[in-house]
Amino acid sequence: MSMAQRLLVLACSRSAGEALAALEATGQTLPPDVTWVNLPCGGSVDVLHILRALEAGAEKVWVLACYEGACESLEGNRWAEKRVQWVQALLQEIGLGPERVVFRAISPTMAADLKAWLEEE
Amino acid sequence: MKSGSRLERLLWAGHFVVTAELGPPKGPDVAAVERKMSLLAGACDAVNVTDNQTAIVRLSSAATCALLHQHGIEPVMQMTCRDRNRLAMQSDIFGAVALGVRNLLCLSGDHQKFGNHPSAKNVYDLDSIQMIQMVKRLRDEGLTAGGDPVEGAVPLFIGGAANPFGDPFEMRVIRLAKKVAAGADFIQTQCVFDLPRFKEWMRRVVDLGLHEKVAILAGVMPLKSAGAGRYINANVPGITVPEAIIERLSRAGRGAKAREEGMRLCAETIQELRTIAGVRGVHIMAVEWEEAIRPIAEMAGLLPRPEPPEVAP
Amino acid sequence: MIVAERKPMVEILASIQGVSRLLVVGCETCVAVCLAGGAKEVAVLSAALRLALRERTSAVEILERSVERQCEEEFNAPLAEDIAKVEAVLSMACGVGVQTLAEQFPDAIIYPALNTQFMGRPEAPGIWAERCLGCGDCVLGRFGGICPITRCSKSLLNGPCGGSSNGRCEVDPEHLECAWQLIYDRLARLGQLERLYAIEPPKDWRSAHDGGPRRTTREDLRL
Repeated sequence: MSMAQRLLVLACSRSAGEALAALEATGQTLPPDVTWVNLPCGGSVDVLHILRALEAGAEKVWVLACYEGACESLEGNRWAEKRVQWVQALLQEIGLGPERVVFRAISPTMAADLKAWLEEE
Repeated sequence: MKSGSRLERLLWAGHFVVTAELGPPKGPDVAAVERKMSLLAGACDAVNVTDNQTAIVRLSSAATCALLHQHGIEPVMQMTCRDRNRLAMQSDIFGAVALGVRNLLCLSGDHQKFGNHPSAKNVYDLDSIQMIQMVKRLRDEGLTAGGDPVEGAVPLFIGGAANPFGDPFEMRVIRLAKKVAAGADFIQTQCVFDLPRFKEWMRRVVDLGLHEKVAILAGVMPLKSAGAGRYINANVPGITVPEAIIERLSRAGRGAKAREEGMRLCAETIQELRTIAGVRGVHIMAVEWEEAIRPIAEMAGLLPRPEPPEVAP
Repeated sequence: MIVAERKPMVEILASIQGVSRLLVVGCETCVAVCLAGGAKEVAVLSAALRLALRERTSAVEILERSVERQCEEEFNAPLAEDIAKVEAVLSMACGVGVQTLAEQFPDAIIYPALNTQFMGRPEAPGIWAERCLGCGDCVLGRFGGICPITRCSKSLLNGPCGGSSNGRCEVDPEHLECAWQLIYDRLARLGQLERLYAIEPPKDWRSAHDGGPRRTTREDLRL
């Protein structure tokens, strides 16, 4: 993992991955300092992935997963959110900003929202 | 006679007894004890002195009992299992007897979580039933828990508590039976508001003949207001103040009027308790409201208090 | 199992202040099973420490290891080389493991990273609860398999106090069941309610910690 990342996105391929594909289909590309990792499900995000990314120099980590009730694996999205909250609490404990890790719910049709989020960041 | 205490002699003579409660001050404020004593003198037969009740540090029960004894008021020393191991219990019991205490109420004690030292370590070396057994042995066999002979006599009238309203209900009578078997001479119950449930408990007690082996004093508590009743319902496990009582207090108005009604309700409860088979007296718990004891006893027709026979066989 | 949880990061960071070469050692027995101090937790804690210490001028080197059972010297022996290289060791074992390292490596500075809590079991995913106090004289056979010493807040042996309400303990009604309700229900189910009438004598606490630190000897295992 490169040290110059601004943002690492850990994305559920079923929702966020689809949204990104739709965005790319319109000719958009991700900014060069954003790394996108598609995961089979939000539930496969691990706290260690997030910490390792921060350790490697990522300024922020996003975890994007399906809306509640929309997870193909039933509760992968809820686990993803729990893990983000766990890391946020840990960051708070060690004096780092919890806002460095963000959880967002997303659906495959939200390419426009995804674009807006990336522009805001 | 096991102890010759006033309480024991009155019960022996067949009187319906009245005990009250005195909470010691949160420090060695003797004047505060004396104020409360003046409110209780002559209004009851004996006064329970609480032992760091609700796990809040107060003037020791033994010392407060000694003050009462010096002023001619008979104390019932309360002792909990929370703060002492079997060594400290026996030692404090010897001390209290040496200072004139003749009644001892053996209690588990409120958990320290509820008091002003929640970080304290608790003891619970013995439970209240084991404490009763130990005190009976001190008195009747003259032996300590460790088996050594006791130097001097330990004439104590031994008491235990009973909560007819706690769960599991079936355990409540079993537990009373165990306290009787362990050696309890008298029982003071948790405050009775729910008379039907208390009657049901007493019926089982009488069925087992326990009322003949132990003197049961029913606990009562005057409420100062409807709010006090609601507070108990929300915060005190195992006691339920019926809606009808809260309603009556609420209708009575505020302040002095509500307090007056609270005392009247308490006196009415006492009168009803007197009619229940096996109930040998009442224990009035007016927490930080000792002023209420005399009027309640008066309203309930319990004054003046009788003199016990001087020496009983 | 022995259940533990990680100490607050502030406390851990304070203990290793000024240390520039650190060894974090987990244990793969109890504390790994309760997700407090196994290899995974060693990796997470080490990553967190690196992040927290990143701002420091001198680089901090953190070695990550985990052993099968930190309470047995044989499993710790291979750590000797690493321990010699570092200024301090942060043990993610229970208190027994921490003390084993301290006894075994008398020159090493060992800090605990966990608070050892109790002997218990997982009641549900993510919830562990105390079941045994290790009193040294098991009474479970008399109480329907439910320990009043451990599970009653007052360790009462002769029945419930007045604080039992609707099956809950007043000390923490939300989380604690009344042990005596459980005992009553279970003995009722087993047809052994008569056990409740027996007065349980005072416990002999000598077999517990009150008799001093305990040890057990098995002569058949010694030459």
